[in-house]
Amino acid sequence: MQIPELKSQYVWAILMIFCYIIPGIMPLNTSFPNSSTTTNIYNLIEALPDGSTVVIGGSGVFAFDLESSSGTIPCIQQMARKHIKILNVPLAVEAVQFEKYLIDASRIETKYGGEYLYGRDWIQFPYLAGSPGSLVAFLNDIQKTCPTDVYGTPLSQLELGKDLKDYTDITLWICPHWDFPTIVQYVTGERKIPSISFAQSGAYAQYGPYMTAYPGQVFMTNGFVGGAQYERLNGIKGLGHAVIDGNQIMSILFVAFFVLGNITWLSKRTGGNKK
Amino acid sequence: MISMDFWVWVSALLTICSFSLLYGDNILFRFAEYTFISVVIGHAVVTGLQTLYPMFYPLINGTQPILIFPLILGIMALFVAWRKYAWLASLPFAVIVGVGTGLSMRAVITTDIVGSMRALISETGKIFVGQPGDQIGYLIRVVFCIGAMFYFLFTIFVKGRGSVTVGWIRTFGKYVLLIYLGIGLGNSAMQYSGLATSAVNRLLRLWLGFG
Repeated sequence: MQIPELKSQYVWAILMIFCYIIPGIMPLNTSFPNSSTTTNIYNLIEALPDGSTVVIGGSGVFAFDLESSSGTIPCIQQMARKHIKILNVPLAVEAVQFEKYLIDASRIETKYGGEYLYGRDWIQFPYLAGSPGSLVAFLNDIQKTCPTDVYGTPLSQLELGKDLKDYTDITLWICPHWDFPTIVQYVTGERKIPSISFAQSGAYAQYGPYMTAYPGQVFMTNGFVGGAQYERLNGIKGLGHAVIDGNQIMSILFVAFFVLGNITWLSKRTGGNKK
Repeated sequence: MISMDFWVWVSALLTICSFSLLYGDNILFRFAEYTFISVVIGHAVVTGLQTLYPMFYPLINGTQPILIFPLILGIMALFVAWRKYAWLASLPFAVIVGVGTGLSMRAVITTDIVGSMRALISETGKIFVGQPGDQIGYLIRVVFCIGAMFYFLFTIFVKGRGSVTVGWIRTFGKYVLLIYLGIGLGNSAMQYSGLATSAVNRLLRLWLGFG
């Protein structure tokens, strides 16, 4: 028996209706598991002394990286609550806009951090061209590598910027970008600063082994599920929760499509042999 | 309630134009695609130009005159677009490649080679301790790692005694790599699915006012 081939338009129509539109209009509130790694990241941030300096930086942004945003936004809110200072260090042109977006979307200046001020609590650095050379230069001498912020204000005129010297002032590095290996290599590997990646699902399988190579120093969450886990720990419902229904249904449909595709292929092969 | 924000409407219409590719290639998708590419390029150029001032601020105020050299190298790199004088761009590109390679060689050996070996040794030790579930997990990871390494190391076919065993392990290593690629593909599929979910979610909530 041969199964008729399914047109791709039909497959997409099914996915659109069942994965995106129905859960979007009527949230199903599907459950998702906890992850010990996500909990460890949350606890690591909680254990940071008040007033520590954390860098959010890296290179490679994929379509506004909504996956990594889902984890980074609740993490920024948690850091703002603890009065942790944030330095945004973009190593790619598109990263400047993305990192600013993360701060805006976190609403820490108005709501979650409260009185979280630019220049005193966080700084947006300009795009540092020439990574990894520029990253190494930044870690060795912040003032010389980045004499001003993105708006052209000298660091000496910013309360948070004037005392920054080098990597010894950085407690933790958060990478919401694709190029996490560069951060692991130069920040964690060479300078022993712990690093966290709110990784996209596609990057998780690829970069996961770094967590094994640097246990207790390198941490990664996995896509929207990781983001939703972090939101739950932080007691909010954000982007991660909003898309988790669609993701769960998609996981089931993927398996169904794989099985259906293989059956179709097998049935065609059998039919071909008979001919 | 439907949004009255002009930019939300622009975003929504461009999102719908992008999704129209699912039905087939069409002019609406092309319009959204070209708009996106041109905006990205425009943004990159503007950000790059804006970066020049903060980066060369110490040169302007005279505290770091040495920055004249990177500025000259940067200008030389622009000659790549002018065929007659493209050779001038070779020097800055050589500096970029040289510095990048030098830095990477040091870091990659520490993190990727030594780090991975350390992880493998550590996980081998964990096979014999802890919960049975964890032990099986570590065993699979170590065996898979050795299998994959075998596949790459024994690219020359071994003849004589032991050749059959080596062949089996190499074949096993090939399947390990296929499993890895499958996991990567599955995760990538979930990534694109997640992006599509969030895009549709934005349409429903921000534009149409559901939820």
